[in-house]
Amino acid sequence: MPSPQTPPRGGSAVDPTAVRPDIDDAVIIRVEPAQLRGRLEQLKAEGASMLLDIGGVDYLERTPRFDVVYHLLKLPTRVASVDSVATPMRIRVLCGLDDGQTLPTMSDLWPSADWPEREIYDLFGITFDGHPDLRRIQMPVDWEGYPLRKDYPLRGPALERTPRPDFALKSNLLAGTPASGKTAAALAKQIAKIRGQAE
Amino acid sequence: MEVVPGTQFLLARVDDVARWAQASSVWPLTMGLACCAIEMMSVTAPEYDIARLGSEVFRSSPRQADLMIVSGRVAQKMGPVIKRLYDQMADPKWVISMGACASSGGVFDNYAVVQGVDTIVPVDVYVPGCPPTPDGLLYAVNLIQQQIRQGGRGGILARA
Repeated sequence: MPSPQTPPRGGSAVDPTAVRPDIDDAVIIRVEPAQLRGRLEQLKAEGASMLLDIGGVDYLERTPRFDVVYHLLKLPTRVASVDSVATPMRIRVLCGLDDGQTLPTMSDLWPSADWPEREIYDLFGITFDGHPDLRRIQMPVDWEGYPLRKDYPLRGPALERTPRPDFALKSNLLAGTPASGKTAAALAKQIAKIRGQAE
Repeated sequence: MEVVPGTQFLLARVDDVARWAQASSVWPLTMGLACCAIEMMSVTAPEYDIARLGSEVFRSSPRQADLMIVSGRVAQKMGPVIKRLYDQMADPKWVISMGACASSGGVFDNYAVVQGVDTIVPVDVYVPGCPPTPDGLLYAVNLIQQQIRQGGRGGILARA
């Protein structure tokens, strides 16, 4: 039975970059997986010294299904004027790929790509070729499935709440009947008894 | 417990004395999981002052702790860690499930969060709230103390 919380398959999957207006200080580039490595190497050579983050997007109904987004920052290497200091350049590189396709790792170009790539692998199941240590980073190591995929059930594979154990199974030293409700009354009685005898 | 008439002696069962001692120094484990931990920290501060109950000594080692306060949502990845800490605590030991998330998963009805810490460790007192007030937690410690004095266990909802 599919989870009632599975997002509707007929939902519109609009690529926001297609409708978004240009951003003043950011360049948005879309490249094919085969060109990704070369393009990013070129951008780094041109001064995009920081890889701020890598994001993943699942559009589910779109082809290609996934986008991997590289956020680059180009800082001015030399202070030419106040203006150039105030306008570092941001570059956003989008790369679409389908389930089963892989991307080359960027962790040798920017060490900051290491953990974001692991995160995308962990949550979207996108593999990065050549990554030195492609393990899950957030989910437990034995987790199955990729939770941020749109077709992943929100409650996980189990689909139902975990059943509660019986309180009678408690294995503590002072096992006994639950004291609920009787506790306060019994305590008051005990106190009254002690006080009465002391007087 | 009774006073022997005409003397200065008290007569009591060893069990009662031991329970009185246990109940008067319930040492919690230093373990904050989420925002409930902020309220848990404030019970140690002067305004609420859990020292009045003898529980001000938060132990950083489970070997020295009597009480586990599960103060926040338990991620699936944290579950085995909680279980391990509980197992490392010496008997007798008690567990307070603090807040909606620890008790039932709360608003996090999803794959990432354990739907109630009682699926992992036995819980003695549940404190409702999101987060519970420090008074609520103090009351839960009170209930734990009452349980210890009585020798009963289990499944109490700390309801005012």
